[in-house]
Amino acid sequence: MSGGLFKGARLSLAEAAIEALDNLRAQGQRSALALLGIMIGAASIIAVLSIGHMAQLETLKTFRHLGVDVINIHAAPAGMASVGVLDRSTVERLPDLDPAVLAATSFIADHDKVSAGVMKATVAVGAVAPGLARLVRLGLSEGRFVSPVDDNGLVAVVGAKAAAKLSSPGAPIAPGAHITMKGYEFTVIGVLKPSPFTPLDAMEIDDAVMIPLTGAGRVFPSSQPTGALVRLRPNADVDAAGKRIAAMLDNPTSSLVVIKAREIIKGMNAQKAIHNQLLAAVGAISLLVGGIGVMNVMLMGVMERRREIGLRAAVGATPGDIGLMFLVEAAVLAFVGGLAGLIVGVLAALVSASISGWTFSIALWVLPLGPGVATLVGVTFGLYPAIKASRLSPIEALRAE
Amino acid sequence: MTDAILEVNDLRKSYGAPDQPIPVLRGLSFAIERGSFCAILGPSGSGKSTLMNIVGLLDRPTSGAVRLAGEMVDPGSADQAAHTRNRLIGFVFQSFNLLPRLTAWENVALPLLYAGVPRAMRKPSALEMLERVGLADRAEHRPGALSGGQQQRVALARALIRNPGLVLADEPTGSLDSVTAGEVMGVLRELNRSLGATVVMVTHDRDLASRCDRRIEMLDGRIVADVTTQ
Repeated sequence: MSGGLFKGARLSLAEAAIEALDNLRAQGQRSALALLGIMIGAASIIAVLSIGHMAQLETLKTFRHLGVDVINIHAAPAGMASVGVLDRSTVERLPDLDPAVLAATSFIADHDKVSAGVMKATVAVGAVAPGLARLVRLGLSEGRFVSPVDDNGLVAVVGAKAAAKLSSPGAPIAPGAHITMKGYEFTVIGVLKPSPFTPLDAMEIDDAVMIPLTGAGRVFPSSQPTGALVRLRPNADVDAAGKRIAAMLDNPTSSLVVIKAREIIKGMNAQKAIHNQLLAAVGAISLLVGGIGVMNVMLMGVMERRREIGLRAAVGATPGDIGLMFLVEAAVLAFVGGLAGLIVGVLAALVSASISGWTFSIALWVLPLGPGVATLVGVTFGLYPAIKASRLSPIEALRAE
Repeated sequence: MTDAILEVNDLRKSYGAPDQPIPVLRGLSFAIERGSFCAILGPSGSGKSTLMNIVGLLDRPTSGAVRLAGEMVDPGSADQAAHTRNRLIGFVFQSFNLLPRLTAWENVALPLLYAGVPRAMRKPSALEMLERVGLADRAEHRPGALSGGQQQRVALARALIRNPGLVLADEPTGSLDSVTAGEVMGVLRELNRSLGATVVMVTHDRDLASRCDRRIEMLDGRIVADVTTQ
């Protein structure tokens, strides 16, 4: 190794690293204290990045079945109206009316008491059009979804959680079973697979009993839909499309609320960003303090080891060799701190995941960053002591007590 | 003299401000033959140590020239000086200057580290040198576990491991009792004979100096006597 900052160094980096480890072991406790700051700093970096990574995965998981190109239009009552409504035929014609719209479906969502045999439960009740299944990518575990042939028939599709609530031994909720709502008996035609709930969903589908929209008047005040879900083309301008759709659906009874997936994600991310910035700040400050600690340990080392420096110079170490030796010591010191930080950081992410109820996951690219950044800090803060050591006059160094 | 390991020509050294220089060496000229065993005597402040530092390339002269093994020494480059020290010069200090964390053999092998000798080859060489100074059985001991005389013998092994042309010994027996001092002198003398290393030794001890081939006496930065005994 020659060239670079410490020109004339004849020691190879590997040799310097072996020497450095020997020297650090000898310094023991004092090195350990300097490592604490570096360790906390590196741990924060690992934790921040891992938690961010997990949060992103969680968000993605939430929106996986729904996608990020969906908007929800909710008709809130306006003026004297008791319920806000949307025009069903306009909603269904939206793919023809607006080039940005891929699919659209309307619904009514509420909660109600339902019973099946001896079982009674309060669940979400929805009146839905056949298009919902495709739009939110619902999976069936048994039977089929509401289809145009049902028209206003007395049929129901049940979510996995609602099905579990209403099933009794010997009388499971399955196609052919009966459910009673508002005095009407509905025949179950399908049971859905479990699906996660997203803030965009019309209702908690998992916990819902859904009937055809056309016959909604039996259960709801009217069969006019109160909400719509619209899937846009992947690269559509969500804001502009949202405005155009709201204008098309505008009516005197309602004030329309447009909820966009991206906005919800943005909100979720913003919350995490504050949390992350705080951790990142802790990390940065710890690394700074750790770096100063490394510099302090190294400066003390240079002072205490002046005779050694003089002796090494006398037996042939160039200023470059001596500078390199101290620089590598600083780097090794910080690297060891970074490794400890890596372990602590991963543990912190693990704890954080279990508290948040997330799936624990570590992005592999995060792992080298802890020791890497720590080593960088070590080299940066070790530079001054190393240069100082390399500039010592051998005679004065040998004379030192 | 054609076969001189060291030649010094009108060597001068002053300390202090350029307008008020304090001269320490006032024009020294001498040559030392390869293979000789030479003592430099003189009271404190006579300039012995300064001379040793300049000859050992640890310090620079104000003026004058130093030739080592026939090569002119470039006083300008610290790297060049380090390489020359490594290759041509072995130092022995009054206070041994062994690194306490390293074992005896690791101390002996230190010059090889800076010579770029691979790790695997350093230990056999160091063990061989330790055997020459009679410490083969102490190779894995740290300096703290060795007596003063043993430590100085380790330092001798370190000074000679590169087979340098010139060994500079600054009061090598100054920290030892007279019996041990005699032993260390004996080892040094033996190494001088068997390896052909030139030894230049600074000492206060006239008795010790009398055992050398040549005595150079200094006073106030000048050579006042230069006696060669046969």
